[in-house]
Amino acid sequence: MTKSINHQLFFPHPPQTVWEYLTKPELMEQWLMKNDFQPIVGLDFQFRTNPYPSLDFDGIVYCKVLEIIPFKKLSYSWKCGPGDGKITIDSVVVWTLQPKDKGTDLFLEHSGFSEIENFTMYNALTDGWLKNLHKIAELINAAKHGNTNA
Amino acid sequence: MAIPTLDTFQVIGDPSRRKMLMLLSEDSLTINSLAENFDMSRPAVSKHIKILYSAGFISIQDIGRERYCTLKQDGFKELQEWISYFDKFWISKLKKLETLLNNKLSK
Repeated sequence: MTKSINHQLFFPHPPQTVWEYLTKPELMEQWLMKNDFQPIVGLDFQFRTNPYPSLDFDGIVYCKVLEIIPFKKLSYSWKCGPGDGKITIDSVVVWTLQPKDKGTDLFLEHSGFSEIENFTMYNALTDGWLKNLHKIAELINAAKHGNTNA
Repeated sequence: MAIPTLDTFQVIGDPSRRKMLMLLSEDSLTINSLAENFDMSRPAVSKHIKILYSAGFISIQDIGRERYCTLKQDGFKELQEWISYFDKFWISKLKKLETLLNNKLSK
């Protein structure tokens, strides 16, 4: 079960060039979304895209700049919901840049979906289901045999 | 006690309910043994359990004289839909960024 979104891309450009595309609103708009981003820690800004009704997403992403290390790291909170400022998704986007011989490795991590990923329940849901089903079966059997200590 | 209708994220937004899900991720538990982990009234525990149940996060089975709570996958689906939406979203956006930067190089 997916806990977070991770992507890695190589660009044959220096980190400075890639950084510009991550932090200049007019460049960000060309590939990402309309925004009023500014590289200031603590700044509230928004992305705007098309609404996605089946997910109750009104198309507005409410963000706050969390961290800036020029040419190396950028992170912002990423909150969205069905409208009227109601938030159902509360997550974090982290961009990391690593200089390479002939370019830059860019890493994207989008995570923190409702803190739920910290739970062992993710494991329970992937490999724990059978175990739980077996337990239920055992309990039912025990009950059938009149064992009321269960 | 009236049970409010909550969306997936409100359901798991509550620390007590998250703790309940966490406990249940390790084992199926009776409502009584689940309640022992919480410093709250029995009706309060029941209310949380009903909320988890109506949102599809747990199932409840009567076995003998006890009521057993078990994790159920339905409640987690909406969360997965969001994550998979954003995953596709980023893949298409990063593709665009790649094209933009590649064009820059060939100029």
